[in-house]
Parts: sequence; C-alpha cells; structure tokens
Amino acid sequence: MQFGSQRALDALDVTVEGGVTGLVGANGSGKTTFMSLVLGLRPPTSGSVEVLGLDPAHHGSELRALVGYGPERNLFPEEMPASDFVKHLAEVRGMPRTEARGRASDALWLVGLGEERFRPLGTMSTGQRQRVKLAQALAADPSLILLDEPTDGLDPVQRDEMLALIRQISTEYRIDVLLSSHLLEEVERICDHVVALDAGRLVAQGRLDVLVGHDEGVLVELIEIGDHPNALAEVIAALQLGGLEVRTEQGSNRIEVLGTDIDLIADSVRDAVADAHGRIGRIVRRRRRLEDLFEGAER
Amino acid sequence: MSDAQILDRGYRRFEGKRSGVVGAMRSVAWHTVRSILGLGRKGRHKVFPIIVLVVSFVPAVAFMALAVLIGDLMQGELRPEYWEMFGFSFVATIVFVALVAPEAIVRDRRDGMFSLYLSTPLSRPSYLFAKVLAVLSTMSLIVLGPPVLWLLGYTFQSQGPDGIVGWLSVMGRILLAGLAICTIYTAVSLGVSSLTDRRAFASIAVVFVMLGASISAGVLVNVADLSANWRILDPITGALEIAPRLFGDRGDEMRGVSTWLVLLGNAGWTALGSALLFGRYRKLAAI
Repeated sequence: MQFGSQRALDALDVTVEGGVTGLVGANGSGKTTFMSLVLGLRPPTSGSVEVLGLDPAHHGSELRALVGYGPERNLFPEEMPASDFVKHLAEVRGMPRTEARGRASDALWLVGLGEERFRPLGTMSTGQRQRVKLAQALAADPSLILLDEPTDGLDPVQRDEMLALIRQISTEYRIDVLLSSHLLEEVERICDHVVALDAGRLVAQGRLDVLVGHDEGVLVELIEIGDHPNALAEVIAALQLGGLEVRTEQGSNRIEVLGTDIDLIADSVRDAVADAHGRIGRIVRRRRRLEDLFEGAER
Repeated sequence: MSDAQILDRGYRRFEGKRSGVVGAMRSVAWHTVRSILGLGRKGRHKVFPIIVLVVSFVPAVAFMALAVLIGDLMQGELRPEYWEMFGFSFVATIVFVALVAPEAIVRDRRDGMFSLYLSTPLSRPSYLFAKVLAVLSTMSLIVLGPPVLWLLGYTFQSQGPDGIVGWLSVMGRILLAGLAICTIYTAVSLGVSSLTDRRAFASIAVVFVMLGASISAGVLVNVADLSANWRILDPITGALEIAPRLFGDRGDEMRGVSTWLVLLGNAGWTALGSALLFGRYRKLAAI
C-alpha cells in the first residue's frame, strides 16, 4: 500500500483467524491503513485483500454492512442522545427502523450504559464515550468488529472493564474482533491472535500462545555476595564462553539466558554461579513477550 | 396467574434482510433533513427554519388573500405570473441556502460522523448523494412551496389555469423550474461549504459567492457596459430565469440573453459546485 512515494504497508501477507485479533504496532506502523484496507476504504496498490469472503475493493458496501467499526477519535454529535446515535448508525448499517431502535437499546445495556442511554453524548465521560463507540459497532449484528484503540483515555479500572467487554463479545456473541492497539500488554491479555506491524512491515502474526508462549531459555536473578562483587560479570562471561546468548539489563542483577535446551542452560547457569561464588535468587523459564517480537525485528 | 415475565436482555442475531446502500442513503438523508429543520433538537434549532419558512410563504399567502378579497380586481397587469412567485422569496431562499448546506455537510466532518458513515455501506459518492437529496428536498419546501400553494389557492378560487391539461402543464412547469433552481443552489452551496470545516465561515462564504457573483455580473453589464450575456455569471438571477423561460417568457434582467446561454450558465454553476464538492470529498481521509 503506497501513498505517493511513501510506502505505508509493504509486502504484507496476513491471514487473520476468528476470535479476538490484536493489531499491534507503534503510531505510524500502518495499523490505520490496514483497517482502511479491511473496510474497503482504500484499494491496495498491489496485491489483494479478502474479508469475510468478500473483496473489499469491489464489494465494499456489502462488506461494510457486516462490519462494525469503532473509531479512535472521540468525536461525536454532542447534542445527540446515545440511543439516537446508536439507532441511527444501526439503521445506516441496514437495520429496519423498529429493529434498530430495539437493538440500540440492547447494545447500550450490554455495554453498561442502559441507564444513561438518553443522555446527550456531549455530557458523557471518556469511558462512557468509548462504550458508546462499542455499542454502535455492535448494534447492527456485525460478523466482524474493528476497534481502533478502544481503551484510549481510560483509567485502569475502565480499561479492564472495556477489555472484558471485548472478550465477552467474542466468546459469548461469537463476533470476531480486530483490535488495534499500541499497548502490547492489553493485547496479550485478551487476544487470541496477533498481527504485529512495524513501519509498515509485518513483524509477526499468528496465535498469541504460539508467538509468546515458547520457552526460550531462562531468566536468572542473582544475589551478589559481599566478598564477590564481580559474581554477576563472571557468570555472564562464563555463560558466553560456553556459547550461550546472554541479555543483561543495565543496573540490574537479572540476566536472560537464551536457547532452546533448557536443561543444558540450567546446568550451565548453576555451574557458572557456583564458580563465581554467587547465589541464585530466582531462576524461571523465560516466556517470550510481544515486546520481544519487536525487539527481534529491530535487531 | 400473572402475565408478568422477565425477558433476557441478551444479544440477538439479526436474521432479516439488510436495507443496503439505498437504505443507508435514505436514513442519512432523512437524518439530515431533520437536523436542518431542527426536528428532534432543542427549540433554538427550530427558530430559524420556521422564520425562513414563514417569510418565504408570506408573498404567496398575501396574493391568495388578495385573490379571495378582491379577486375581480386582481386580473390582468396586477396579477403576477406563476413564475414570478419564485423571485418574490429569493432573499429567504438565499439565506436558507447559506444555512442548509453547512448544516448538512460541515457538521459531519467536525463531529466525526463522516468517518463513521464511511464505515457503513455508504461510499463517498453515495454519502454525498444522500446529502444532496436532503438539501434538495429541504430547499424545495422554500422554493417550490410558495408557487405550488399559490397555484392551488387560485385553483380553489376558480382563477387557476383552464382545464386539467392546462393545470397539469402549469404545475409541471412550476415543479421543473423549482427543481432546477434547487439543483443549482444546492450544487453551489454544497461546493462552497465543502471548502471549510467551520459552519459560520461556510454560511458567509455561500452568501459571499452567490451575492458577489450576482453583483459582479451586474457591474459588468450595467457599469462596464458589457454585453447582457455576462449575466450568466450571476447564479441567483440565472437560476431564477429558468422559470420564465419554461413559461415562454423572459425576466427583465436577462431579456437579451438567449435560452441556450441561460442553460449554459446554470449548467456551469452546477458543474462547478459539483466538481468542488466531489473533488474535495475524494481527497478527504475517511479514518
């Protein structure tokens, strides 16, 4: 996908499965462009896109009738009551008027705004507005919901509630969700699948438990002994001499030893620590996190 | 035994037929008409549309009253032609146009509705057609309402056109002229409104462009003594001139201009407004 001379998405080959999929990446990584391709708002410069069995570039209207979209921006018609807003968008997405009215009310109850549904949008808090965005995306019974930064501006409690709602939409109502976020932690919490983008390129895609769940070495915390102040440095040197990759954190007594043979790594760490007259405070199997995917891409 | 029951407020799948693009356009157009007229909004939003509607109908109602009271004296020179009714309320029409178009499209860009609409079955063109439909139909109330009311009033006073064919012919020409005027004003006002994200600026710009072009054309013809054909640069008079031409007559200001040039001028303004509108929205980011 290209805008003039600027390439927004490059060599992207992505398959998104059902459930909740996290579209992660920093600002400018191509998340919004990816969403606009999914919605059929822009045709790809080259290649093809298929969503719910339809080509968005040629069947955009049919496709968008089946997709709910929650934008990132918190802009609303301020005077309009939440129920009218959700009802109107349900109608525009193809619901008959009476059906839209009932579904708007139901959707607002489902997101926890039942009692507030007649309040003008301009009087609502950021948390309530995020819920209204979710309700309008949900009201027209979509097969897929696209949410752009749905926890933006929420406090931790509101964020937990919003993430729980999104999870509920997928597990209970069987609606697939594509969630764009720059917060890797929240994607790890609720997503089944991940598409990770960096500067328009695909960093990783697939099941979250596969991408972040592999054992890849161990995490060691050393307790330094007073009369052996260089124990940590000696351990690192010994492990590196043994051919193991070691990552350190500046100013920390924690090291990560990478590798696939856990038994060999554990034995090596034990011997190195014993030789350096150090003491192991904690040793656990290392879990790969989403950050590691991006760090790996940068390297 | 009580009939009371507790219903589960759970999520329901929708198995019915969706209304598609046409339904989406209808919904957006109706929503826009309601917004323009202040329906379902606070009282202050209804004040202006009501004032303009009343003002635009005053001449028609006044002539009808005269026809009832002194019908016999209202024949010949004293009785205006049907097409003249379009000109009586043109000030109200211009003021209305200047507020309708910004209300129809500028608000959507400012309050995020434009992005949301494009995530529905609507595309940029279908969204714009829905807006054009809304502005056109709302404007028709002001432009078409008075002459149609006048014709009906005269008909009920037995002073209308002779015979059913004559009556239908007059009504058809009134409708055609009204629709043409609405189309030209809609294109110009929406085109100008698409250039700014502020409603007040858009309203001022619409008045400035329409009155400015009208005054400039007048200066070219009356002061610079150029040919009367320069009048086609005037979107207000040019659009209103369609009405007398449809009735086989000519307005005073464009008497010397051929019908083809009148049509060309109006087509030019319509094309210019449409090109501005569609060109601007083609480039507008959706999300």
